[in-house]
Amino acid sequence: MSASITGLLKPWTPRLFLVRWSRYNPYYLEPEPRKEVYHIPETELTPEQKEERELKSVRPIKAATNSVTSSVFNDPVLSKFVNMMMKDGDKIIAKGIITQTLENMKRKQVEKYHKAPEGKKAEIECNPYAIFHQALENCKPVIGLASIQKGGKFYQVPIPLTDNRRRFLAMKWMITECRDNKHRLTLMYEKLSQELLAAFSKEGNVVKRKHELHKMAESNRAYAHYRWW
Amino acid sequence: MNRLSGEEWQGGHYLSVPLSSHTHTNAHLQRHTRTHTHTHTHTFTLSRVVPSVAALMTWLHSAAFTRRLARSIAYLFPSGLFDNKAKPLMKHPDEVFPKQRAVQWGADGRPFHFLFYTGKQSYYSLMHDTFTKALAVEKHQDRLRGKGLFTQDAKQISLVGSRWLLKEELEELLVETISDHDYARFIQLMERLLSLPYCSAEEDFVQRYRRQLEIQSSKQQVQPLQYDQHGVAYSTGDGRRKTATGTVLLRDSGSGSISINGTNYVHYFPVLQDREQLMFPLHFMGVLGRFDMQCSVSGGGHSSQAGALRLAISRAMLSFLSEGQVETMRQAGLLTPDPRIKERKKPGQEGARRKFTWKKR
Repeated sequence: MSASITGLLKPWTPRLFLVRWSRYNPYYLEPEPRKEVYHIPETELTPEQKEERELKSVRPIKAATNSVTSSVFNDPVLSKFVNMMMKDGDKIIAKGIITQTLENMKRKQVEKYHKAPEGKKAEIECNPYAIFHQALENCKPVIGLASIQKGGKFYQVPIPLTDNRRRFLAMKWMITECRDNKHRLTLMYEKLSQELLAAFSKEGNVVKRKHELHKMAESNRAYAHYRWW
Repeated sequence: MNRLSGEEWQGGHYLSVPLSSHTHTNAHLQRHTRTHTHTHTHTFTLSRVVPSVAALMTWLHSAAFTRRLARSIAYLFPSGLFDNKAKPLMKHPDEVFPKQRAVQWGADGRPFHFLFYTGKQSYYSLMHDTFTKALAVEKHQDRLRGKGLFTQDAKQISLVGSRWLLKEELEELLVETISDHDYARFIQLMERLLSLPYCSAEEDFVQRYRRQLEIQSSKQQVQPLQYDQHGVAYSTGDGRRKTATGTVLLRDSGSGSISINGTNYVHYFPVLQDREQLMFPLHFMGVLGRFDMQCSVSGGGHSSQAGALRLAISRAMLSFLSEGQVETMRQAGLLTPDPRIKERKKPGQEGARRKFTWKKR
């Protein structure tokens, strides 16, 4: 074999000092911690999946991070939200707030469920994880604005957003909204559960902010040709 | 002054004797002459004993010299000079001497190869061959298009488990040196050949210039299973994460209890995330209640201790699993030691990334 391949398997510091780098060599692949993926029999795999499996068998794999497990309760979107809410590396507090939020949402929904007439019971969503995901979906903007300089002036140009960027904006708006626009005595989990339930039914300040962004993009559609990518 | 003969040398007292008496004054003699009992710290200087060539010859043939020589050899080569295991390890001549070309021209001075005057005949002939093959494939495709039998989903060459030849390996194959630019052009041309839909006809040619990558899971060292006096299987594993180190004794007793540094794991790790990390390898393999664990961990914080124990548990579990399961665990990221450490602080900055406050003046 070759010495240069074994050189790719060690903890790696880049030759040129890059701003965004990791201790893994780019040769390493991302791990797949979910159990179900490995129980699919050979016959049901598509050719792309077979190729991916072959590639994985010859490439080294990165270690799974410490917030990732194979458990059913492991949710990557929720983990990202917890990390964004975390201050000064205190994940215990952030995770505690989220747990309390989910519990609070469940309590409110179950109360509503018991008070509702028979016909309306089936429409009430009691699963807090489903509410969280749907609320976040409702907060995601479809189009964004970028500040582009043309002829000495800066114009707000409508641009398409990537999935990661949309998810980030939805989470960011949710967190800033809950931190800033609340009464001094309301606790974070209380305010967050209120906002999430509002976003689930497409009301509330976060969804309003998303609509405002869409309106701005619509009004600036004349400048759309300033985008060159 | 007496010249000492070989017989008088035998481990007795000796005086340091100047080479020839007439060159030294008495005072000098007194400064240099010293008596000391024979210890192993005495130094042997040939010039002290044999100042002339004739004397040297006498010395070399003497019995004393032979004895001294025998003692030296016994000291330096304890197994003797001709022992099989004492022979020096030498590489095969092919590895030591680089491959050389045979003479490239005939008796009339004309070179054999038509590309000899390019200077890199093997390289250019290889490029020439590859391009000819690419043209042949394109011609085949055009013929098929003419007949109406052309399809995009023809059988493709599988390139997944292999890599291109490295520049050094190509040089070895061609027995001539090529530059980086030449190598890049060669790879480009091969990729162009591979981009054609019907390139599978030239699979043998392409595979000659590719090397198989080794399967990563074969690099895992799996310790054999050990059994204690009651016949219960057990294994150990250790792991590290940041500055924490942990060891685990995994016993196949079927109770699922975990003790860390003597305390129950629920008391040691009050945070849910750490306990989840301990259970991750067990849950992944579906053996949650099967093993009994005795862990010891030190260093780092709670998160890195949990990570160290997770790696230790995964490594200890390998002895109980089959090869396919080992590969699955590796692909889940459980067997790689996490290389991430705290980034160092740089000079001229406040921290690893944070810069000092920018002041306008």
